[in-house]
Amino acid sequence: MPGELYERISQDIRFTEGLTACMNCGICTAICPAAEFYDYDPRSIVTTVQSGDEKTLKDLLESETIWYCGQCMSCKTRCPRGNCPGQVIQVLRKVSQETGAFTKSRKGRQQLLIKDTVGKNILKYGYCIYPATAYPEKHPEQGTVWKWVFENSHEVYASVGGNYQGKGPGTLRKIPREALDELHRIFEYTGGINLFNKIEEHSRKKALELGFRKENADPDMEVYTRFVENEQ
Amino acid sequence: MMNKPRHIAVIGGGIAGMETASRLAQAGYKITLIEKERITGGHLTQWSHLFPDSSDPAIVVSRLSSALSHQNIKVITSTEITDISKNGQYFNLKSGSEMSLNADAIVVTSGFHLFDASRKEEYGYGLFDNVLTSADLELMMKNEKPIRTASGKKPRRIAIIHCVGSRDAKAGNTYCSKVCCITGIKQAIELNKRLPECEIFCFYMDLRLYGSSFDGLYLTAQQKHKVQFIRGRLSEAAEKPDKSLQIKAEDTLSGRPLRMDVDMIILLVGMEPGISHNNFSRNGSVQLDENGFLKCKDVHAARNLTTQTGIFMAGTCICPMSVSETLENARSAALEVINYFERKM
Repeated sequence: MPGELYERISQDIRFTEGLTACMNCGICTAICPAAEFYDYDPRSIVTTVQSGDEKTLKDLLESETIWYCGQCMSCKTRCPRGNCPGQVIQVLRKVSQETGAFTKSRKGRQQLLIKDTVGKNILKYGYCIYPATAYPEKHPEQGTVWKWVFENSHEVYASVGGNYQGKGPGTLRKIPREALDELHRIFEYTGGINLFNKIEEHSRKKALELGFRKENADPDMEVYTRFVENEQ
Repeated sequence: MMNKPRHIAVIGGGIAGMETASRLAQAGYKITLIEKERITGGHLTQWSHLFPDSSDPAIVVSRLSSALSHQNIKVITSTEITDISKNGQYFNLKSGSEMSLNADAIVVTSGFHLFDASRKEEYGYGLFDNVLTSADLELMMKNEKPIRTASGKKPRRIAIIHCVGSRDAKAGNTYCSKVCCITGIKQAIELNKRLPECEIFCFYMDLRLYGSSFDGLYLTAQQKHKVQFIRGRLSEAAEKPDKSLQIKAEDTLSGRPLRMDVDMIILLVGMEPGISHNNFSRNGSVQLDENGFLKCKDVHAARNLTTQTGIFMAGTCICPMSVSETLENARSAALEVINYFERKM
């Protein structure tokens, strides 16, 4: 039966734009890169959402599944009904973040890491990925040479024409204070900051639940972060 | 009795127009049948087998052709009507500046055109050598050509794709073309008869087998001809260096993405409203429905009546129909025309 979660989902414009009615043809799953890689089926997610069943929706919001989508939006290009499962995923993720359901899954818990890296970088430096915070030990995917680039960043970026942390134009230039303030206001106004706070708040609860507690009874977020980073 | 025989223009010399014309001629009306192609018979002249009995469409066409050699019927070919106007009690029909004729009533039987499969670029029609439409396959079989890949090899695996250009908002057609499902099954059987070693897969969303004998044909296709059915819509086809094709779909009944290598793809193209409809609708002679077919005056009680009194319609200009339905529909249109004139007297 449709309940509070469905109500919440259906109020998001991305849901009303992204799903009118699905006829289960499977073309979204057929084109989906994530479906080839993971046990992931956008069609069945849409069917679940379309059913509106509160219990199944709750399970979905707490599952690993909704975090598998890479947001490539290939599904939008194919759906014969003009639906967009990728957009429905956006809404599910947001509701999962707001309600704390994300802390129930491993991939969901990683929202904290993304907020603390990409989220922080954007607001502090104006870049999603920023050389100074792309620590080699946290980015093994960058390969062994990354440590050397990281340690010699100014020289390396200058050698390829960058203007790392410099004034004026150029790649990797320092983003001026006014621009960062404006970004912050955009995040404030559009609810981005609120979402960050929700992720933090629910992650702290989860940390306590798992027993990651400091002496003063506050959650120990450093230990919790390491736990989330290493969780298999 | 009528003082002077009424004159009726029938626009379109496919099977709907031929049947309507001959029925009205038998009832004593004077008919001018106008066909834009060189010959009458329409799409059926390019078709190899009819469902559900696998009969030769030439039989239907030749029966209708002989009925056309009636003293009351004049057939004009290679002529496309470009304009209809009302001139007092007559309708005036024009083909450019070359032809003009008056008629007491009109029956539009302008039919359909097949969906242009190259509009679904992701299926590669016109780009890849071994992607064919259902119409291409019919023509191949009609000309008794062996079914071979572009490089002349016997295909070992063929995929038949349902709903190409139908039930698809992306193609601008949200309606079901109705006859493609059973056509696909019929073609799968014909392929198996010619290529017993070849695996045949039908990719469908829903099998819409509305005819009383259609499900029987489905069963035969599975039991006797080993045709396999996969419930999933194709997302795309890619050509490999050896010109075979890799297709992607979801097997929705098992909930798994699926990739398959095939030697040939047959696209079941649906029916779209005939382009000539635009000529009649442009000046407001008749109205079109939401799918671009001719709009009925009443969808239950007056299916052969357009929105304009005196202009009737029959066959696939109304909606997708099978051959037998088209012929029935043509006879019902003839009856409506007769009733119209009898009420007038």
